[in-house]
Amino acid sequence: MTTRKLFQIALKDLRLIFRDRSALVLMLLAPFLLTLGMGAITGRFSGSDTNSGVSDIPVALVNQDGAQLGDALVEMFTSADLDALLAPALLTDPAAARAAVDNDEYAAAILIPAGFTASIIPSPAQSAPPHPVQVEFYANPTRPTSAGILKAILEAFLGRVEVSRIAGQVTVSRLLEDGIISADQAVQVGMSAAEEMAQSTDAGSTIRLVTTMEGGGAVAFDILAYMAPGMALMFLMFTVTYGARSLLVENRQGTLARMLISPTTSTQVLGGKVLGIFLTAITQLLILIGGTSLLFRLQWGNPLAVVVLVLAAAFAATGWGMIIAAFLKTPGQIASVGSAVMLIFGLLGGSFFDITMLPKWVQTLSKVSPNAWGMEGFLDLARGGGMAVVRTPVIALLIMGALLFIAASFWLSRRGLARQ
Amino acid sequence: MPPILEVRNLVKKYGDFTAVKGISFDIKEGEIFSLLGPNGAGKTTTISVLSTLFAPSSGDAVICGHSVKDEPMAVKRCIGVVPQELALYEDLTAHENLVFWGQMYGLTGRALTSRIGEVLEQIGLQDKAKQRIKTYSGGMKRRVNIGVGLLHKPRLLFMDEPTVGIDPQSRRAILDSVKELNRQGMTVLYTTHYMEEAQELSDRVGIIDHGELIALGTQSELTRQVGQTDTLILHIGENEDPQPLVDALKTLPGVLQATPTDHEVSVVTASAEELLAPVVTRADRLGVKIHSVDIREPNLEAVFLHLTGRALRD
Amino acid sequence: MNRILAIFRKDTLLRFTSPIEWAFFLILPIFFTFLLGGGTGSSSDQRIHFFVVDQADSPLSAALITELERSSAVRPSVMSYEEAISEFNERQISAVLILPPRFTIETLQAGGVEVELRQQPNNVRAFAIQQGVNTALTRVSSAVDIAAASTSRAELITPFPSPDQKQAFFNAALEDAYAQLKQAPQRLAEVSAGTEDKIQYDPNANSAAGQMITWVFIPLIGLSAMFAMERQLGTLRRVLVTPTSKATYLAGTVLGQVLTAVLQMVILVGFGALVLKLKWANAPAATALIIVTSALAAGALGTMLGTFVKTEAQGNGLSIMIGMVMAMMGGCWYPIELFPAVIRSAAQALPTYWSMQGMLDILVRGQGVRGVLLESALLLGFALVFFIIGVARFKYE
Repeated sequence: MTTRKLFQIALKDLRLIFRDRSALVLMLLAPFLLTLGMGAITGRFSGSDTNSGVSDIPVALVNQDGAQLGDALVEMFTSADLDALLAPALLTDPAAARAAVDNDEYAAAILIPAGFTASIIPSPAQSAPPHPVQVEFYANPTRPTSAGILKAILEAFLGRVEVSRIAGQVTVSRLLEDGIISADQAVQVGMSAAEEMAQSTDAGSTIRLVTTMEGGGAVAFDILAYMAPGMALMFLMFTVTYGARSLLVENRQGTLARMLISPTTSTQVLGGKVLGIFLTAITQLLILIGGTSLLFRLQWGNPLAVVVLVLAAAFAATGWGMIIAAFLKTPGQIASVGSAVMLIFGLLGGSFFDITMLPKWVQTLSKVSPNAWGMEGFLDLARGGGMAVVRTPVIALLIMGALLFIAASFWLSRRGLARQ
Repeated sequence: MPPILEVRNLVKKYGDFTAVKGISFDIKEGEIFSLLGPNGAGKTTTISVLSTLFAPSSGDAVICGHSVKDEPMAVKRCIGVVPQELALYEDLTAHENLVFWGQMYGLTGRALTSRIGEVLEQIGLQDKAKQRIKTYSGGMKRRVNIGVGLLHKPRLLFMDEPTVGIDPQSRRAILDSVKELNRQGMTVLYTTHYMEEAQELSDRVGIIDHGELIALGTQSELTRQVGQTDTLILHIGENEDPQPLVDALKTLPGVLQATPTDHEVSVVTASAEELLAPVVTRADRLGVKIHSVDIREPNLEAVFLHLTGRALRD
Repeated sequence: MNRILAIFRKDTLLRFTSPIEWAFFLILPIFFTFLLGGGTGSSSDQRIHFFVVDQADSPLSAALITELERSSAVRPSVMSYEEAISEFNERQISAVLILPPRFTIETLQAGGVEVELRQQPNNVRAFAIQQGVNTALTRVSSAVDIAAASTSRAELITPFPSPDQKQAFFNAALEDAYAQLKQAPQRLAEVSAGTEDKIQYDPNANSAAGQMITWVFIPLIGLSAMFAMERQLGTLRRVLVTPTSKATYLAGTVLGQVLTAVLQMVILVGFGALVLKLKWANAPAATALIIVTSALAAGALGTMLGTFVKTEAQGNGLSIMIGMVMAMMGGCWYPIELFPAVIRSAAQALPTYWSMQGMLDILVRGQGVRGVLLESALLLGFALVFFIIGVARFKYE
């Protein structure tokens, strides 16, 4: 029975590859370790509930104001609300604070100079509006994202202070102009209007920002759901090129000739080897998916859809493996080209970082890799979604695989299976 | 003249396993000395220690007047090594290989270039020198292997099983070149498990088994040890069990030894001619078919058999 | 010395006889650098691009869009819903802000409105866009809030005769508020530590630096495979039989590969500076120092690893895996500042961490040789330790 022979050859190859420890390193260990590492550096394992892993941003505060706004600013930065996000420290000397930032101990230092409150809330005695006193934000350039977050919080505070002040002013000037109040009521009305504004804006503005992800679902994002498929797909390419290598290695070893001498046709031999690569690829993906699900409690999504996507991705990847085997001559060449392809596809397909950061033409080019389509499918599934959501990637992968297979078979049949 | 190589109680252990158990021998300048023994006897280990790759566990060897333990660099300059495996860069040409290895021996410039020319001529590969070694036949690769060992004009050449796995023509070429080198004055230490090679080449032979030197001397000295004995080789059928015949023959008077090997039974006796008839009769009586008989005069194989009770090629 | 050169020559010949090696040496790294250097001719506009869908088309949405355009951090483009969402789904843009039809001043007055910011996952830019949008929203809603508060306070003092008058008061207050907000003085002085001229944070240059370190380390750790190959071939033994000392052999092999890697990096940095106008050729001496010490550390690590692996295949696999893990944990792929504190401390045990710190000192702090002395010294320290272990183990092979 021909199909039985195909499976016999395929299973022999599967057994061989799982005995090859150096192959297993790149097939299973590497993607696993990289996913684990990614989880560690994004704080996924340290119980942080912020979705980008930002927490405990160190910030130095120096308050020389001595009045209520300076105190309010410090109070906000040290409040319980921001406790998870920030790790504030109160210092007394601005020069020391700046030095500490230079030393990379803080993401930034916020230096509130004397006279800050006075420059915003004018004392009754003053006639001219006071000269603005600026809060100094001394940023650490090697921590731009953290500094950016701190700056945003500071700007929000300063914005509220400004709004309160303006509220007071506008209220007073409007009321004065409309004659509803008299000049000597101005100060008192202004102050209470400002205070009321300050308190109400504390509760939040009237425009609420809701952040969502694709499809409108809430952002409850697990970074591992991004990294794990990326790594699995990248090392999938290694597996298929390794399988392609085995074809040439068998040729050298003489076992290929032996197979061809036995009552087995070359089509069966080739078919069996291809089936072996396909099965190995599926096994690798399933092991990684199963392992990360169990150990990291990663949600990959609808199981049936996941399996279908795995089959399609393995199919397309196997096609690439066959093309590589068809065109190259020695196992050494295949190993080198295989590594290169693995890395290029990994980069293009988004295994290292989100490819929206790359130019458009690169994103189009990336469609040539099974990685790009596979990533799209896995991400959609991780966010919830059934079979419908993977329809496009699966079809694309199947077409890719089919085209590659046809090309590879054609080329291989011209060259002949066994060669010098 | 002092010997060019003196080995004194050389011992080499790997962990608990003792590969070389205290051997001693000398090699005179200008001779071909063979170290003969079956696979796993310790030949390669001995050569490795003598080529200063590993330090001896105990004992020492003095080569060209320098101690292997204390002056390895000086020893390295005096010896050339042709290892059993082809330690060559297949992606480079023969010429490029010779350049590199010459440089490793400290040869440079014009001296290197002229020496490479000489060696290429010696091994007969001048025309193919600029081709990559991976395109060579097995025999050609072995010739390059030898060439590399000769580059720096060593006084003593170690050749470790140089003819394993090659065709008869190339083997013949190598054996001839060894004899030619020797004729030009090169001392050779040649290890092998092929008795015929040892017989053809050597002035003196050391037989090594399980890490020990069990015999040492010229060929005639060794065969004399075995006494004047002949060896009868009985070729029996494929499906025959030789053991009953062996047991029966052992009881025959005049049989010094009877050993089964493959489809043969080797019988050592004082005179093969006299024993021939009784042996055949005994075999016949047992119903064992003898296809053919060889009579072999004393040789190294017999010596080995005599000393160890085993055949050299097992 | 001759021997070291001889070994270098042999290794170079062996490496570059195959054309595929040229792909790895030159083409791939240039390709990657090109990609990450923002290859489409890096725009001088460093603001992060995002889309805005204006379904309201009201004065309020116009005001918001104006406010967004004033931002120093983000750059909005207005698009139709279909276009924006389709590009978002194809991952062409990091975030889309959707202003619903009800986004008007009236709705705000009545009680508030929600706007949606749709973001890509694992995208640091989306996060920054969120900050920028929040800032703009606050500004816009503030004016409305102020006007509303004034109006209600006025009502408390003296109730309005009619709704029209109330609305008129509101409008006047709103205009006033806008004017005041526009004139609001800058109360924040931003100073970037340690630099005279402000070096703009360029995420692309950062990524390129991180990738360069990754691809310096991986092939040099791959030295382990090279040693394994020579051991398998028998040529390693043969070298040890010649009057060439182990030290010479090791030095020749390691230095040779380090030199090749440095050459490669020089080409890349040159390419990056000349063609992509990347700013990392700011401090060439410091950059050279970091590159060379990193290469030495990586080469020494490869040598040490070479004493542990048995076959070339093992060497290749392990070097890719170890190289990638070290690069990632060292902050080459993902900003170090975002690591949890524990992990960040642990990462200091990796040479890649210090390489990246050195590159950041040059790229972001604008420092020169003095600034990277610490990192260079540490990298040399790593090199020394790895090399000593490698040599010690080499003896007993």
